[in-house]
Amino acid sequence: MRDLPTGPGLLALARDVLLRDLMPLLPPEAHLEARLVANSMAIAEREAISGEAPVQQILCEVETLYGDGSNGEAGLLRQFAGDLRAGVFEENQSRERSAREILWRLTIAKLRQANPRFLNANGLS
Amino acid sequence: MAGTGSPQSEPDGLGPPVEDHRLALARFLAVESGAERVEITALAALRGGAIQENWAVDACFTGGGFAGSQRLVLRTAASTGVADSLGRLEEFAVLKSAYAAGVTVPEPLWASDDPEILGKPFFIMRQVEGSAAAHRITRDLALEPALPAIAERLGRELARIHTIRPPLTDLAFLAPYEEVGPVHQIAGFRAYLDRHPAPRPVLEWGIRWLETHVPAPTEPVLCHHDFRTGNYMLQGAVLTGILDWEFSGWGDPHEDIGWFCGKGWRFARLDREAGGIADRTTFYRGYESESGRRVDPQRVFFWEVLASVRWAIIALQQSDRYMIAGECNLDLALTGRRATECELELLMLLDPGGMPGDA
Repeated sequence: MRDLPTGPGLLALARDVLLRDLMPLLPPEAHLEARLVANSMAIAEREAISGEAPVQQILCEVETLYGDGSNGEAGLLRQFAGDLRAGVFEENQSRERSAREILWRLTIAKLRQANPRFLNANGLS
Repeated sequence: MAGTGSPQSEPDGLGPPVEDHRLALARFLAVESGAERVEITALAALRGGAIQENWAVDACFTGGGFAGSQRLVLRTAASTGVADSLGRLEEFAVLKSAYAAGVTVPEPLWASDDPEILGKPFFIMRQVEGSAAAHRITRDLALEPALPAIAERLGRELARIHTIRPPLTDLAFLAPYEEVGPVHQIAGFRAYLDRHPAPRPVLEWGIRWLETHVPAPTEPVLCHHDFRTGNYMLQGAVLTGILDWEFSGWGDPHEDIGWFCGKGWRFARLDREAGGIADRTTFYRGYESESGRRVDPQRVFFWEVLASVRWAIIALQQSDRYMIAGECNLDLALTGRRATECELELLMLLDPGGMPGDA
């Protein structure tokens, strides 16, 4: 059991302080760097909140595609990537569609953490 | 091929910073310009070069053809970079070719690889006025009415770049097209991914599509290979210079068109497909009117897909400069995260309407 406020809560607060209180005190040439810091904090906050659940869900889908999770997390994704390179799923329409759906979910899950604004700008959430 | 190598430290990039070389630089400028004396009155690092360092150099020339105050830019390598970018002397030669072909570029003046001057190769060009800030260009309401004309002008400029064709003695250092065409680029992407610690299934899927849709070979031209919003300077609504020629090489003319139209370079206006500033038709019109050749949308599509893969890999390489080469730079570290934006674009290009409903 950790003390409160939570890590993500502290990150959110620190980011607010940076953008609201510190940014106006910084010279203009430091603003870009400060925004990069704020952006990094926002990514770290979102990743801390969501934890490993989104990645685990994708891995489960890859496992289902193969019917076997014996390769472990990294091995499974690497096998998936290798099979996409080799065009393995192109031989079966249903598996090919499943593979594409996993790619969509994987990408959306990553962007929800790294850049949700970009997702929104592309009509996704 | 630009952007498929590894992060690299240039052994000559670890020397003292440019500020420590004022006197040697002043002497170099005097010798090259025929001046009796040159005094450097201001030297300031310019933002924006992710791989190269650019320095604004204000100098007062006494005598010679440049007598008086001159505003110059010195371009040299950062301490780490990505493989496949040209050396500074090579980039200088490409810039000279573009200048001679009538492309709007900063006038290239002098170059040197004498280690006694800066400790690393560099070149000097005239400073052009204006801003290349892509977010401002794509969202500045005051600029809106001028954007179609700017897009058309950029189309014409690109066509002018593409008038430079091999073989050219001055550009003999550029790899032959047969060695840098799409098949080689695809091999380069895969070689990079094989070295990358994390698997990238979306990129693999996109590269597979590229492999099975390679267009027929074409007559190569000089491609800028990074012709995009963010790499041209505007003073008000006037184009003052096309910048950053470090990735130039022989290629398919549609390669530059696909890169310019890629979503990665539309910044605040994803809906405006030509560099975030106009529709494609306007940009293509400028290109076609200057070149006399029709743009082939199918070829552009191929190169736009390749652009998404290439930009993703460059983004990962930029991040590698922090992760592997140890360059302490938050901008570079964050750039790696942008690879996933390119992957989304790949999915949207190659599987339109394929997004799962409950994602």
